[in-house]
Amino acid sequence: MAKNNMSKLAKREEKLAYRLLLPTVLILVLIALYPLGSVFYTSFTDKTFAGADKETQFIGLENYKELLSITIKELPPILDENGKQKIDPKTNEPMYERAIRILPREPRRYKELNQFTLFGKRYVIGATDPNFISAIWNTLVFTVISVALETVLGLAIALVVNSNFKGRGIMRTVMLVPWAVITVVSAKMWEGMLQPNRIGFFNTVLDKLGIGNGQIAFLTTEGLQLPSIIAVDVWKTTPFMALLILAGLQLIPDTLYEAAEIDGASKLRQFFTITLPMLKPTIAVALVFRTLDALRVFDVFQVLLSSRKYSMATYNYFQLIGNRNMGLASAIGVIIFIFISIFAVIYIRMLGVDTDER
Amino acid sequence: MRKKSLIALMLVFVLTFTLFTVGCSNNTGTETTSNETSNETTENTDTEKTESNDNGKSEEKIVITVAGGAVGNELELTKKAAQMYMEEHPNVEVKVLDTPDLAQDRLGLYLQFLEAKSPEVDVYQIDVIWPGDLADHFVDLNKYGAKEVADDHFEALIQNNTVDGRLVAIPWFTDAGLLYYRADLLEKYNLEVPKTWDELEKAAKTIQEGERKAGNEDFWGFVWQGDAYEGLTCDALEWVASNGGGTIISPDKKITINNPNAVEIIDKAASWVGTISPEGVTGMAEEDARNIWQAGNAAFMRNWPYAYKLGNSDDSAIKGKFDVAPLPAGKSGKGAATLGGWQLAVSKYSKHPDVAADVALFFASPEVQKMRATEGSFNPTIKSLYKDEDILEASPFMGKLYDVFINAVARPSTATAPNYNKVSTLFFKAVYSVLTGEKDAQTALEELELDLQDVTGFEVGEPKAR
Repeated sequence: MAKNNMSKLAKREEKLAYRLLLPTVLILVLIALYPLGSVFYTSFTDKTFAGADKETQFIGLENYKELLSITIKELPPILDENGKQKIDPKTNEPMYERAIRILPREPRRYKELNQFTLFGKRYVIGATDPNFISAIWNTLVFTVISVALETVLGLAIALVVNSNFKGRGIMRTVMLVPWAVITVVSAKMWEGMLQPNRIGFFNTVLDKLGIGNGQIAFLTTEGLQLPSIIAVDVWKTTPFMALLILAGLQLIPDTLYEAAEIDGASKLRQFFTITLPMLKPTIAVALVFRTLDALRVFDVFQVLLSSRKYSMATYNYFQLIGNRNMGLASAIGVIIFIFISIFAVIYIRMLGVDTDER
Repeated sequence: MRKKSLIALMLVFVLTFTLFTVGCSNNTGTETTSNETSNETTENTDTEKTESNDNGKSEEKIVITVAGGAVGNELELTKKAAQMYMEEHPNVEVKVLDTPDLAQDRLGLYLQFLEAKSPEVDVYQIDVIWPGDLADHFVDLNKYGAKEVADDHFEALIQNNTVDGRLVAIPWFTDAGLLYYRADLLEKYNLEVPKTWDELEKAAKTIQEGERKAGNEDFWGFVWQGDAYEGLTCDALEWVASNGGGTIISPDKKITINNPNAVEIIDKAASWVGTISPEGVTGMAEEDARNIWQAGNAAFMRNWPYAYKLGNSDDSAIKGKFDVAPLPAGKSGKGAATLGGWQLAVSKYSKHPDVAADVALFFASPEVQKMRATEGSFNPTIKSLYKDEDILEASPFMGKLYDVFINAVARPSTATAPNYNKVSTLFFKAVYSVLTGEKDAQTALEELELDLQDVTGFEVGEPKAR
């Protein structure tokens, strides 16, 4: 639309529209942009939380460097007198120089994050803040696996409660119970069930089945922590997924299925050619919702793992409350924000959620 | 038309803005009231209100909110003390706000009140390690009459709570790590009370094997606090100090933790996990350990004195079957107990600091401390109470272990202020990584030493013999 072609009336209408938008814009600035902006600003300072009258200094990108610096160094093998690599007598594994001697200490110190072997050479990954790097990793693993499981299970449940059967209404209501329980409460409940002794539900059941010794420490054993957390989240959030997908299912007109029936398409064929394509926008929206939520996961991690394993959000809490490091905590907040934006953009591009594309 | 639309615009704006602000303040209002109503004893306040009306007093009641702990029967006793105060001062209403069990979570809550300079909470129950960090937010109690009573308390605590000459908190109860043991089981297996960690290991193993054979598959030798939190700092400091490994950072600001004695004892503790202590010990705080102990499923427990009274309560499976002793010794030949305990501090953002200080001083008075000692086995901080017959009768260990309490090892909170929390977190994280088998103690402590240098900027030194 070219502006100079507009009639006077249209121009006036436009002006009025802008004026009417003004309060909304102002409120948006007040409640969204101002806090966000101040988080961005604080992330460039060394502000102390509840620091009374302590002075705050502007330190540029220091917080981000502290959080995100990563390096990879090769570990030289330890050689014996004959120039051959030494073998650990206890574990029978070849010995390498200790990572703490190889990783740089100036200007900032790198701590060991992980080691890996590639083409017969041993490498160490060092990070200035290994806790945060592993928090990012934990959060991503949690997000990908839990959202994938929730989508598949949610779809299955939605298909079931969408079909016609007696007591469908009750089923739909009961299905929502886990979603209705406050996360902290349900996490506490699961903590009880996951207890590392026979007071816990899972240990009792597994013990009866002859698995484990009734002392499985779900929340303190490294390999069981994330699976436990994911299980709790899947239990809680699958109903939400099912509800969203159910709404999508009900938008598909029955006539399509009737036509398919007449054409002789099998149920499976109907599912893949009618149900799934028609559900795509709904699933896309549901995925965006859940992924963005999962990236910010706090409550399950805080209740079930506290300082043992961090998600990005619980590490943020720990830096703010535990170490009173408001600058660093703000930087973490900004990084979470960036992560979420990246995911949001990817989804919108890939799934075509954008409504303007017509 | 134009003017009208402008006016309408202004109106809309003003309306939405007020709605927004009102909405906000309403929210916070309901939040705090719901917090308070859940904790106050509503009946009492009601009757008192009518009483004061009868007396014809028109002035409003002063409300003082005390943020207190709720471990074991702590909350109950704090409410009782509040009741005692209100009976003497009908014009004051003392509310008790219960706070999270884990010290770290409690600090988090406090910091949010303090950052907002909130007058909601007047008196804070603070940990022995916080006075240095939080001093700026509290009033000098010496100015409110604490000077006269300060000498009655343990000197170490008064010194700990005095920051730049200001007494920022009055000691309320003191704590020291104790070894709880099942006297009946030691007798059954013909064992002595362990004096060293090696003896403890052996005794725990014998009893655990015996009890499991006898049918209790859930029985464990030794339970303690192994979760990654401040409690682990306390437990590990006891191991290290008892083995002649120093106190992480010495009072003269030297980093002493990376030494062979410390490495040895932390590796030893790691070997307990899954043998004499459950795998789940690395997720245990005070109450988790006490639950196992009090159900009769452990031979030994490391815990604070509060568990004594609870272990002898009527619903306890081990009532009258246990006793307490000093913690075992390592190489140094002496056991070590970490100094714990809680203080009462008055917020400088309080609306009635004078009344709040009076409440705090009343709570820390011999009268209330005696009530808490007899009914909850909370150790008094007033020296003379250790000779009080009622207290000694209720908790005989207080007299017997007086030396343990007076010689308890302080965490390096003074030397490292205001970085103590970072130091402690690094320490318990390092120990935790050893307990879970992620690292060996040598590597963990070597890294810890470098981390501590980064945080504090102190030199490395050798631990001194205690």
